[in-house]
Amino acid sequence: MNKIAKLFVTFFSAITLALVSFSSSFAKVEGEYIVLGSAISLTGKYSSNGVHTQNGYNMAVDRINKMGGVEVQGKKYKFEIIYYDDESNPKRAAQLAERLIKQDGVHYMLGPYSSGLTKAIAPVTEKYKIPMVEANGASRSLFTKGYKYLFAVLSPANQYLEVAIDLAVEKNGGKGVKIAQAFEQDAFSQDVRLGILDAAKRTGSEIIIDDKLPKELNDMAATLAKVKAVKPDVLVVSGHTKGALTAIRQISEMKVDVPMLAMTHCDAAKLSKQHGKKSEYALCASQWHKNLSYKDKFFGSGKKYAKDFQKEFGYDPPYQSAESSAALLVFKDAFERANSFDRDAVRDALVDTEMQTFYGNIKFGPGGQNVAKPMILFQVRCKGDDCENRVVAPTKWASDKFYHPIPKWSERS
Amino acid sequence: MEKVKQKDLILYSGLIILGLAAPYLFSAFKVQLTYLCVLIVLAMTWNLQGGEMGYNTFGNILFYGLGMYLTASVQVGMFFPLAEWTESGGEKTFVHTTTQYFQGIGVGLLVAAIIPTIIAGAIGYAILGLRGHYFAICTLGLGIAAGEIAGGIEIIGAGQGFTTPPFPAEIVDAEARGKFFYFLSFALLVGTFVFVKYIYGSRFRLILNAIRDNEDKAEAMGIQTMKYKIVGWMCSAFFCGLAGGIMGGLIGYIDSTDVAFDGREMGVFMVLMAILGGKGTLWGPVIGATLFHFFKEGLWTLILGWQYVALGVLIVVIVVYFPEGLMGWLREKYPERFGEVIDEKDRKAQVELK
Repeated sequence: MNKIAKLFVTFFSAITLALVSFSSSFAKVEGEYIVLGSAISLTGKYSSNGVHTQNGYNMAVDRINKMGGVEVQGKKYKFEIIYYDDESNPKRAAQLAERLIKQDGVHYMLGPYSSGLTKAIAPVTEKYKIPMVEANGASRSLFTKGYKYLFAVLSPANQYLEVAIDLAVEKNGGKGVKIAQAFEQDAFSQDVRLGILDAAKRTGSEIIIDDKLPKELNDMAATLAKVKAVKPDVLVVSGHTKGALTAIRQISEMKVDVPMLAMTHCDAAKLSKQHGKKSEYALCASQWHKNLSYKDKFFGSGKKYAKDFQKEFGYDPPYQSAESSAALLVFKDAFERANSFDRDAVRDALVDTEMQTFYGNIKFGPGGQNVAKPMILFQVRCKGDDCENRVVAPTKWASDKFYHPIPKWSERS
Repeated sequence: MEKVKQKDLILYSGLIILGLAAPYLFSAFKVQLTYLCVLIVLAMTWNLQGGEMGYNTFGNILFYGLGMYLTASVQVGMFFPLAEWTESGGEKTFVHTTTQYFQGIGVGLLVAAIIPTIIAGAIGYAILGLRGHYFAICTLGLGIAAGEIAGGIEIIGAGQGFTTPPFPAEIVDAEARGKFFYFLSFALLVGTFVFVKYIYGSRFRLILNAIRDNEDKAEAMGIQTMKYKIVGWMCSAFFCGLAGGIMGGLIGYIDSTDVAFDGREMGVFMVLMAILGGKGTLWGPVIGATLFHFFKEGLWTLILGWQYVALGVLIVVIVVYFPEGLMGWLREKYPERFGEVIDEKDRKAQVELK
């Protein structure tokens, strides 16, 4: 027993020593670097979108650093980001936020991917008064909690598909439509659902199928079988990348005919590439599209951003990457206007943000959400086997006419 | 005998002092230390079933998740309408005063301890008749089902998740929250350890062991095995519920499948930690959980994106090289230090026989 006791004492003192040696934390601004922290989903169910987000951040960091960096009090600084992998898990994300702030000494945060993870991190950043500019947490409830240090460059999730319902009603001669909807059980998709409920109420539409889909969904055949039976006017599906891919795969397999199909995350899922003609006519909500005519001096236009991104990472940038890049432009702008590294000064500068980026106009509302930028809808259209996303709404940016209704599968080649 | 006890006393008081001083010594690591306490509690309580009773349960995560939702619901529901709190689009913001916050979490934890215990009794009565793999698979289903069901209940936020009340803003000290949850979890750890140690010295443990070694024989000897199995599970549920309640408050956001009924992570971790340290021992789960947590916190960020591969390798290594866990391995290597007497003559005779 005696020796075992000794063993334990040795064991615990070893741990104590290890902890003490780990305790050295470094500061928010190190030499010529401004250190930002971010927990990103590199593994788990959000890994593909997590990587889009990370690529967006990295692209902007490189670009800003190359073009002179951030000037504060006459000195030039460069951005640097510390990443951790949150494994698409809110629990892990909250813990990592704490770690970034307390152990790595990070004073400014960039958001994670998805609303759920942002919801987990926001209480932590709020507690320590750390300004966080996030680009991928769209859930409306993030902006009703009275958070003072949270800033989102994107439009809230409930706005994603409201426009699609309006469009369907318009095509139906102003009369209400029958809506079938299926949403993943996560914070973001459920918020999109709330938006649809509002729109349905407003337009006198009727919701005839209202299904919940499991997380990490790979199968929604049950919903689609119902859709086949009751023939709604619109089918709305939201469940991140996997939801979009699953929906198109099974709709085409089961040959489900529906006049209008509205979804989210089509571009992140690279639908037009992965499913080609099967995905044609799908209507998608997006925060951004490269054809929009916004501009800034770092990335030029959306088209130029898309080209540079393609060169760097080998694929067309989804809006998740674009908005993530925009988050860094916002930070740079705020640092320069604050002309200080004081967290509260930076926070106050963020509140007053009013700028145009290649991604869109950015101005924060009282809850921290971006109020200056509308959502857009695009539709997948094909020429031969070559499919791409074309903007159809709002009319100001539309490059193509909205094609309605979707031809039946029996008539499609 | 007296001497041994004195040694124990020194060890335990040393550990308690270390535990109490830890949040001040390693201020930046408070959250990780809180996790460590909770992980140890989960591993120790799992060990009661998996190690002592021989019933490999994956269902303890059910009580952990229940505790989490119950604490948060009570904490909110005592003072505000719960449905409005969890409804995501709610424009209202509710703020707990300092007293409300602590009263709420106190009552919440009480409920989080009691209800899972009762549920463990009820479910145990239904399924503890199953043995071996059948019991394991059945409990695996429990956790998954609970996650899916919770994800559909609107009043606790459904798929939106449940944001637990923020720590009262009147307490300006940014460290207070971390300290509060650390000491809460440390108290739970001490309580659990004392309880499990008490069980280790009792007849109850022998009965659990008898069930593990040969349930039919135990029954034939007149032990009402069902009764003891249920009571054993209820004990685990009590502490798991409390652990969940504390974690819910610490994380600040409850998601049905990723945080509360997180069988994929916590549910597997608790089994892994107990096996790593050595199941069926008092200290095994403690050491297993500590090592595991250090491995996880220290190495995972170094191998971004590959951590689950590393975890898989770790599991293989444990199962292949330390099937009895670290404690079992030590015991085999140095049996005399565990108070086991080896008859050298007998051992030699056996060697010669081979």
